[in-house]
Amino acid sequence: VSIFFSTPPQVLIQGITGREARMVVRHTLAYGTNVAAGVTPGKGGDVIDAVPVFDTIEEAGSACGPFDATLVSVPPLATLDAVAEALACGIRFLVVATENVPRHDAVRLLALAREAGATLVGPNSVGVLVPGMRVKLGAIGGQQPERAFQPGQVGIVSRSGGLTAEIGFQLRRNGLGVSTAVSIGGDALVGTPPAKLVPKFAEDPETDAVVYVGEPGTRLEEALADALEEGQISKPVVALVLGRFVADFPRGMVFGHAAAIVEGQRGDPAAKLQRLREAGALVAESLDDALRLVQRAIGRETVL
Amino acid sequence: MARLLEQDVKALLQARDIPVPRGAAASSAQEAADIASGLGAPVVVKALVPANRRGLGGGVLIAAAPEQAAAAAAALLGSTFAGSDVEQVLVEERLELDRELFLSVVLDDDRGLPVVLASRHGGIDVEASFEDPQRAPAVLELDPWRNALPFQFRRLWRSAGLEGSELLRVTDLTRRAVDAFFELDATTLELNPLALVAGQPVAVGALLAVDDLALPRHRDLAALVVADELGRPPTALERKAAAVAAVDPYRGTARFIELDGDIGLLVGGGGGSLVFFDAVRRAGGRPACYTEIGGNPSADKVRELTRVVLSCPGVRGLLVGHNITNNTQVDLVAQGVVAALADLGIDPRAFPVVARELGTNDEEGRRLFEQAGVECRGEESTMEHAARRIVERVYGSAA
Repeated sequence: VSIFFSTPPQVLIQGITGREARMVVRHTLAYGTNVAAGVTPGKGGDVIDAVPVFDTIEEAGSACGPFDATLVSVPPLATLDAVAEALACGIRFLVVATENVPRHDAVRLLALAREAGATLVGPNSVGVLVPGMRVKLGAIGGQQPERAFQPGQVGIVSRSGGLTAEIGFQLRRNGLGVSTAVSIGGDALVGTPPAKLVPKFAEDPETDAVVYVGEPGTRLEEALADALEEGQISKPVVALVLGRFVADFPRGMVFGHAAAIVEGQRGDPAAKLQRLREAGALVAESLDDALRLVQRAIGRETVL
Repeated sequence: MARLLEQDVKALLQARDIPVPRGAAASSAQEAADIASGLGAPVVVKALVPANRRGLGGGVLIAAAPEQAAAAAAALLGSTFAGSDVEQVLVEERLELDRELFLSVVLDDDRGLPVVLASRHGGIDVEASFEDPQRAPAVLELDPWRNALPFQFRRLWRSAGLEGSELLRVTDLTRRAVDAFFELDATTLELNPLALVAGQPVAVGALLAVDDLALPRHRDLAALVVADELGRPPTALERKAAAVAAVDPYRGTARFIELDGDIGLLVGGGGGSLVFFDAVRRAGGRPACYTEIGGNPSADKVRELTRVVLSCPGVRGLLVGHNITNNTQVDLVAQGVVAALADLGIDPRAFPVVARELGTNDEEGRRLFEQAGVECRGEESTMEHAARRIVERVYGSAA
């Protein structure tokens, strides 16, 4: 059981023949995740690491379906079409890895996912990892997911995919593990904002605490604070918002992820942390501090 | 977000049946005078820079005659507004404005939808007046999959207070503006003032920002974009870094901002780079630049970027680091950094270089770094330890 899956999912990979996806397929199979089929229009009949490739999801479904989840790893301008195809074929769990999806397309694909009642992680997500189930959707954890993630009681929700792994790794060094790790994506518009995702961890019997890592820009952290205040979240939430010193950057500059734009007061990390603190989150001053707070929250001592 | 200059925006609007004042761009005082003669005085002379609120900053002048238009152009050309040099001015007919409205179509990240904002109170400094709840604009959320119907725009402008034939004409223009917004992959299309001239709406002021991620499907627009990502013109080193990043754009991302401190940062990924930046600043360090690398760059790309970082004026040390990597190959990062140090004849035993690299192929990476004399940290060290270490080495322990 995890926040997303009750049994290990059968996985489809859209864009499976791409350079990035091929590497991910190899690592994912080695980890033990069930990659049932792939789709790349025009490449039907190919086989990637023993995974059959089809031109359409309809054909893939007839031969190898049904699919519980799809990993979308297609070029930016093809992403809207790929998401629409997956939803039309009844897939209700999507991880969109593609970076640089045009903003109008992101608005449209997120609207489709909402209407279908689907869970869409991303765009621009490094992926979702469930160590206890050996489920790896995306590049998350790379070649050796075990190095950064062992099964355990901490949920990770992060704008940054890299830090998802770093936190898992530091937890492991301290003898702790992860229930589910979610890289929610670094774009301004994401399908699973923390205000929606963190409450799922609160309901999960295998999770004892959640770490959230935010970035400057957007109102995602403010919405998470609202959810905390409304009492939707009964477990300790450790929150870190990066970019305390972004005032050093020229105004309007894009740094880190696309969404991390600070315009005037809006999106200011210090204001976000203040809101989260008032709402009852355990606010971390730094990444190392976040690790210390998690351990304290679940009654462990730190050895950073 | 990529902005266009006003005369290009107005040409795009005019092609979509949205009336704009007659006018043309000039790059000299003489040209401005000629355009003014052609139009007939009086005229408005505007600094052509991709920024709004020019009216407040003295970037919009009125000229009663062609000679005055020449003087206005001479005053504006070569000056700087909102960080951009004025290379051209826009000379337009001066219209009698019966009323100034405000119309904006924007992609609203909080709603995850495009919205239309409409107000009867347009013109200079309208943003400040919106703070007053009495003057807050009327709002219409748009469905990204379905064209809005005319009644929705009528309702919008009725709640903003328009009536009669003005209501119908402005409603009709709003529909065309919304169509243009979608067609151009815009993030903002703002008509301010949207003026009523003898009962007809005219886009007297126009601002357009398009999504740079969508430019591959708008070749015609791409040529019109004036880059403004920084909010200031890029420095020579920033242009150089952008050129390096543009080679093989699908292999390795790179973003570089020049700052005025003394520690070069070559760090990643998107979030990890901010952890290093924050940690260096918290420890009292002053970054000479912020360079974010990720997405498994080639050794060559890392080498060229490292050379840019080490060219920052006043740089006295280098921090190379990532969070534990998902796919970036640490050995390639090490190869690139070590090659750049050799290129520039920098000995890391004398010039402090600290690396914190962990992840794919990190054993080989560490070997390469240590062989070259770079202080390399791995599993035993957090990202913040490494940031404190470079500060310590550059400034001495008293930092």
